[in-house]
Amino acid sequence: MATHGLRRANDPPLLILVSLADGPKHGHALAKDIEQFAGVRLGPGALYGAITRLVERGLIEPLGGDDRRRPYQITPPGSAALAEALAEMRRITRAGVTRLGLDPA
Amino acid sequence: MKPANLLRWYPRAWRERYGEELLVLIQDTLDDGRPTWRLRLGVIWGGLLERGHQARSRAVKWLTKPNQPTTMVVAGMMVALLPANVMTLPSPPRGSQVAALVALLAAVSLTAAVVAADGLAALPALVRFLRAGGWPKIRRRVAWAGGATAVAGGALAGLMLAFGSRSATQLNASWGYLAAWLATGTAMAIAIALWATAATGTAKHLTRAPRVRAVQLLLSAVAGIMVTVALATLNFWWSVTQAPPWLAVGLVWLALASVDAWRRIPQAVRRGRRLRAAASGTTIVNPSAPRTHGRHRF
Repeated sequence: MATHGLRRANDPPLLILVSLADGPKHGHALAKDIEQFAGVRLGPGALYGAITRLVERGLIEPLGGDDRRRPYQITPPGSAALAEALAEMRRITRAGVTRLGLDPA
Repeated sequence: MKPANLLRWYPRAWRERYGEELLVLIQDTLDDGRPTWRLRLGVIWGGLLERGHQARSRAVKWLTKPNQPTTMVVAGMMVALLPANVMTLPSPPRGSQVAALVALLAAVSLTAAVVAADGLAALPALVRFLRAGGWPKIRRRVAWAGGATAVAGGALAGLMLAFGSRSATQLNASWGYLAAWLATGTAMAIAIALWATAATGTAKHLTRAPRVRAVQLLLSAVAGIMVTVALATLNFWWSVTQAPPWLAVGLVWLALASVDAWRRIPQAVRRGRRLRAAASGTTIVNPSAPRTHGRHRF
């Protein structure tokens, strides 16, 4: 079974998809948002490497605009991919929490 | 080093598409107006990774797509060698020779069956097209392909008539046979290429249901791979009838077929799914997106 790094919560493409889930953002806004919600500081090189792969795979797309700061938005396949990855993470998290006895339920 | 200079580490195509955005992001990221070493190294590393990614993509494309014309030429040359091979076989043949010949015939039959199935899938659409008066649109291509096939068949027959009675040693020493073999092989390759062109040109005129197109995409991918497998089995046959080193060539063909299968079959399945999704109004994902094995890849 190929995982493609989907199980790593600090995987840059996953963080970008999560950030774009609530609306389009340009590079700098993405980096700030990711730092805020995940505590991960993505450098410009890492951020644009991940953006390139996500655009290639049709999971995000650029929006038009005159500004040099081009915003990106998540596509329907991107939303589906994110939902799938999060569901898998949730299953693993739930198993770990239960086995450690941290889950009151 | 100025931020703009950092872009030189990226491939040209990438710079043209994302360079300006990356520069803006670098400028937005800077606090005191000068990039830190950590930022510089991060951007340089990103550029090197991008170059590596581009090199990998090019290598995979080189291993698959350009093989089609090469395969046609090699197939033509190999078919032109077959008559001499059959005629110089020892009598009775050894068990390994029979097994290799059976494998070759099985591979060729299977390839022909896949090609025929591909054609049959489009047959109703072809009949509709011809009944609607489409023949003039494809007549020229089909005539060229038919003519080339006749020439290639004639050349093959001539090769058998002219050199059929000679031994393998005599054939190997004959410049005349070498020239005739090259001419016949070229004629065969041209005929194969013209039929492929005629089929592609005809397919463009046909109105096929998305499901049929999806099936044909898959069958075309399998047919291409089967041609390579058939060439591999031909080399295995030669390795037991002519010279053992042909085994290495056969293994190379088999490796190419494996690379082809790894890349082309999932690609054909994915494109077929997208065709059907587009027909049903579902969002189409980027057609160049890689395979996902039912799992999304970031």
